[in-house]
Amino acid sequence: MTTKRATFLALCVLVALGGACEKKKKAGGPGDGSGAYGEEGLPGSSLTAGQQGKNLPEDGLLKDIHFGYDSAEIESTERDRLALNVDWLKSNPRAKVELEGHCDSRGTIEYNLGLGAKRAKSVKDYLVSQGIAADRLSTISYGKELPLCQDESEACWARNRRVHGVVLQ
Amino acid sequence: MALAAALAALVARDARAVVTGQIFGPGSQSFPIAVVPLKNGGGDTDGALGKAFARALSRDLDLSGYFKLVDPRTFIEDQNSGISAGEIDFVGWGALGAQELVKGTITVEGDRVTTEVRLFDVVGRKDVPEVGKKLTATRAEVPRMAHRFADQLLEYLTGERGPFDTQIALTSTRGGRGLMKEVYLWTFDRDDPVRLTNEQTLMVSPRWRPDGQALLFTSWKQHQPRLFLFDMGTRRVSRLVANNTVMQNGAWSPDGSKLLVAKEENGNTDIVLLDRSGAVIRQLTDHWAVDVSPAWAPDGQHFAFCSSRAGAPQIYVMDVNGSSPRRVSTIGNYNTSPSWSPKGDRIAYSTRAGGGFQIVVIGADGSGGKTVTSQGSNEDPSWAPDGRYLVFSTTRGGGRHLALADRDGRVQRELTRGTADDTSPAWSGRLEW
Repeated sequence: MTTKRATFLALCVLVALGGACEKKKKAGGPGDGSGAYGEEGLPGSSLTAGQQGKNLPEDGLLKDIHFGYDSAEIESTERDRLALNVDWLKSNPRAKVELEGHCDSRGTIEYNLGLGAKRAKSVKDYLVSQGIAADRLSTISYGKELPLCQDESEACWARNRRVHGVVLQ
Repeated sequence: MALAAALAALVARDARAVVTGQIFGPGSQSFPIAVVPLKNGGGDTDGALGKAFARALSRDLDLSGYFKLVDPRTFIEDQNSGISAGEIDFVGWGALGAQELVKGTITVEGDRVTTEVRLFDVVGRKDVPEVGKKLTATRAEVPRMAHRFADQLLEYLTGERGPFDTQIALTSTRGGRGLMKEVYLWTFDRDDPVRLTNEQTLMVSPRWRPDGQALLFTSWKQHQPRLFLFDMGTRRVSRLVANNTVMQNGAWSPDGSKLLVAKEENGNTDIVLLDRSGAVIRQLTDHWAVDVSPAWAPDGQHFAFCSSRAGAPQIYVMDVNGSSPRRVSTIGNYNTSPSWSPKGDRIAYSTRAGGGFQIVVIGADGSGGKTVTSQGSNEDPSWAPDGRYLVFSTTRGGGRHLALADRDGRVQRELTRGTADDTSPAWSGRLEW
């Protein structure tokens, strides 16, 4: 019994240390997009909002960038919003950002995961082309799993086809 | 002795030919069958288990699409009537419209349950010895005994074993945590799926390990989408690989020795072959397009996947040694989520049509092609081990839940209900008995 409890405590400490290490590593350099956040979730992310049952974030410090159906190409209509994001990133040079790729409901789950990754990468590439350092920008795809709205209308689909930026620091 | 056996085989073949003709003849209707609750052979208080068996069997037979269940309220013999051919009122059953009849006994001793169930040919006034054996199992396994009988019955009547003694894994928002999903399990005797994981995050794409003892799924539990395992025995969740590679929609090879996964790097997703431990054996696709949803052929040499390399997503086939991909999807201009039949002969996928998606079945070589659904929007097909039925998610009747169809689209049945989203079904192989 005592041994069991001791083992359990030791495991807890290991898990806690592991989590802390991962978080520290991430805070040091999120640029590759592959860092682990442990299990508490990234503050401000769409996933964390979803887990907490809150409304998903839209147009925060950075503007959501929207896409055409089944497309990861930057549309000319998004240039103004992208320019605002570039300005914000230049005014806040220490800020790091995670770019979340999202899709509308018209596509299957797995394909949309791949498409969301492409959308996030497109926005990252555009921001880098405008002089933002690549190591300030990480990407993640949520596919069609985190929609802002769920009605089947063009207005709702268009809102969901987005890259949302989460400011990390 | 040898002559008797040969004669018996001959008779059996004739009986089957007649019955098969009745089911599949041109313009035939579904086959009228009566299922009587099992007679208490001892220990089945109030006949409860005998009724549970009949309920599970009746549901299976209805779902198969081959049968029309005779209404139990019209039955002329009750649960306590005799179960030998000499004791059965075949003329009376015939008058009710029944062409086949299922009766049997159930005996309970502690947790041990024995069933002896028989199929009777009402028209021929005799029992059908090929179907039904004496089975012993635990009390909790009574529904499985019914599924097993249904599978045998379909094998006898249609030449292909039924798909009911199996399980279906899925992801669902049933937990009431908004958009968050967990992995659930559904069997053919349940109304609602039961939850397996408690990860409190997003997860998609559960896939069975061929031994049925573990499920692989894609989860955002540790930030980026990665592959995790759920062990059916210990009920523990673990990461497939320790490194930080972003991987999703993994699928085990038929022999369980390898995995195909979609690996994302710098925004681009490609198909990669891994060994059992998650180490990379070979990168199979290397293309700027989205390459996802690998689905093994049963030969373990080929696989289908979805790629947008032609502009819009289409279904391609290639071999695991890295041949060049060959497009096989013919119907539709936006095609995703392939599933290769365990028989090897067909591939099912989702095609965009109108405002939603429908399920298409094509020959594995790209020949033929038939849309097998039409109602609601239908996605993510997964084959039953018999290669005859498909499970998929549907919006028929509101919410998103699971439905099945046969490979010809003749049979359409809803499996789960409710307002939650039931998604990504994965049909298991046959369960060990």
